[in-house]
Amino acid sequence: MKMPESVYVLAVYDRQYRVFRKLLGSSLVSNVANPILFLFAFGFGMGSFIDTMSGMSYLTFVVAGMIGYSAAFAASFETSIGAFTRYFLQKNWDAILSTPVTLAELMMGEILWASVKALFSAICVLIVGWLWGGVPTSFEPLIALPIVFLGAICFSCAGLVATAYAKGYEFFSYFFTFWVTPMFVFCGVFFDIGRFPDVIQYFAWFFPMTHLVAAIRPLTAGTEVGVTAILLHTGYIIAFSVAAFWIAHRKLRQRLYD
Amino acid sequence: MKRPSVITATNLVKRYGTLEVVKGINFSVPAGQCFGLLGPNGAGKSTTMRMIMGLSEVSSGELEVFGESASAMSREVKAKIGLVPQESNLDPDITVLENLVAFGRYFALSKSIIDQRSKKLLDFMQLNDKKFAPVNALSGGMKRRLTIARALIGDPEMVILDEPTTGLDPQARVLIWKQLTELKKDGRTLLLTTHYMDEAQRLCDQIVVIDSGMILDQGTPDELIARHVKGFVFEVQKPNLAASPENRWEQEDIGDSVLYFVDDTAEFIADLPEEAIYLHRPANLEDVFLRLTGRKLREN
Repeated sequence: MKMPESVYVLAVYDRQYRVFRKLLGSSLVSNVANPILFLFAFGFGMGSFIDTMSGMSYLTFVVAGMIGYSAAFAASFETSIGAFTRYFLQKNWDAILSTPVTLAELMMGEILWASVKALFSAICVLIVGWLWGGVPTSFEPLIALPIVFLGAICFSCAGLVATAYAKGYEFFSYFFTFWVTPMFVFCGVFFDIGRFPDVIQYFAWFFPMTHLVAAIRPLTAGTEVGVTAILLHTGYIIAFSVAAFWIAHRKLRQRLYD
Repeated sequence: MKRPSVITATNLVKRYGTLEVVKGINFSVPAGQCFGLLGPNGAGKSTTMRMIMGLSEVSSGELEVFGESASAMSREVKAKIGLVPQESNLDPDITVLENLVAFGRYFALSKSIIDQRSKKLLDFMQLNDKKFAPVNALSGGMKRRLTIARALIGDPEMVILDEPTTGLDPQARVLIWKQLTELKKDGRTLLLTTHYMDEAQRLCDQIVVIDSGMILDQGTPDELIARHVKGFVFEVQKPNLAASPENRWEQEDIGDSVLYFVDDTAEFIADLPEEAIYLHRPANLEDVFLRLTGRKLREN
């Protein structure tokens, strides 16, 4: 196998960026407006019924969750339905693989773009959360952003696994029902998972989302930051990404080459 | 003088499970020529092309492309090949010019080279007016021209074209033929598949006819015609056929009429009854193709 080279990865990334600039409107709506609506509804709406969650205001609690979720949603969508369209419908990947770009570089370009886009959504949520008083810290959230970016890489890799196994668009209803939605409800986005029975908690810790939210919440909420905990969560996210990339690459190799 | 080979296939085999779709073929593509791979649907043409591109693994035998094994092609060799696939896979989300630019980047070209070449290629393929148009606004012929332009962005030494004119109107075909001839003049090697025998006859220096994964014959168009059909074809309507016994003339019964392949037209016409109704034309590659691969439909 050839060593991936950045010039080819960036070539794939660049194509995505060009398209994004054209479709800026719809991209902004789904990736930015969507989480902001949730933030508004839960932070202000539900927040007025809940005094505190895990010792912080509900808005503060939910800002960290929404940062993670917006990144997860943007990255997952881009490398599942988005990538599948380029691969399956537009045959864009076939065209790229007839050039010197390798499959690994193509995948990395897709992941890099999806993660940058996801980070962009997360930053928007952070800014909105900060403007509305949900981020009581000053510079710590900036430390959270690289972790969010790693999380986005992880979600992008998982999305590519779905793309690698998808036979048609119907397949993605499984992906969203059993992967994206659980990240929304079980992973500490809207409430502390400590209240779940043990079994469900184990289940929750399988999802990289739980680790991402747990790692960034102290940073945006201004509670005590445990360095070891952050490193462990980040380590899990990286390990998960590597495994997902490997599985997706193996399956896509089988499908695209014969 | 023998030209160096760009592609050499030796006992090349492709199997899917137990099904053998390419059954030990041998051929070599000389540099700077147009090489035609002809055969009915399902003959193994596309599989062979995929193997040449390194997209399909060789099951056994050898396949060398620019001196390297096709299954372990370096980037340098991959960059010497431009592919024009049968099915359009242009990028529908971006414009005509951007398609060229994006592809230039996949070949790791610098911005100035991309700008310079895309300008030249838009001229070459007569797409300058459509530069900023989205791909979906192009006609079938324009799309194919853009696909060819895109394949040329890396300044390839070899261009592989899978049915480049299928489904196009005569004007578009003529333009593509003209530009492919230009490419050959530049010294590029062309590897072409087509279902149009007039196209193959016009463009190809060398032809390989394959069917069911095997090579039936290879040679120049003239050699193939000389070998398999005589100089002229008479299509004579039944029942007023040639008077001589059947073994005198090479012939083929095609239902309502009989085809005769003959060298000496005067002698043959003398052998026909007065009331015979017939068509008379020089033999062409289509006759060769049908004689070699038979007339049975392949779709079923």
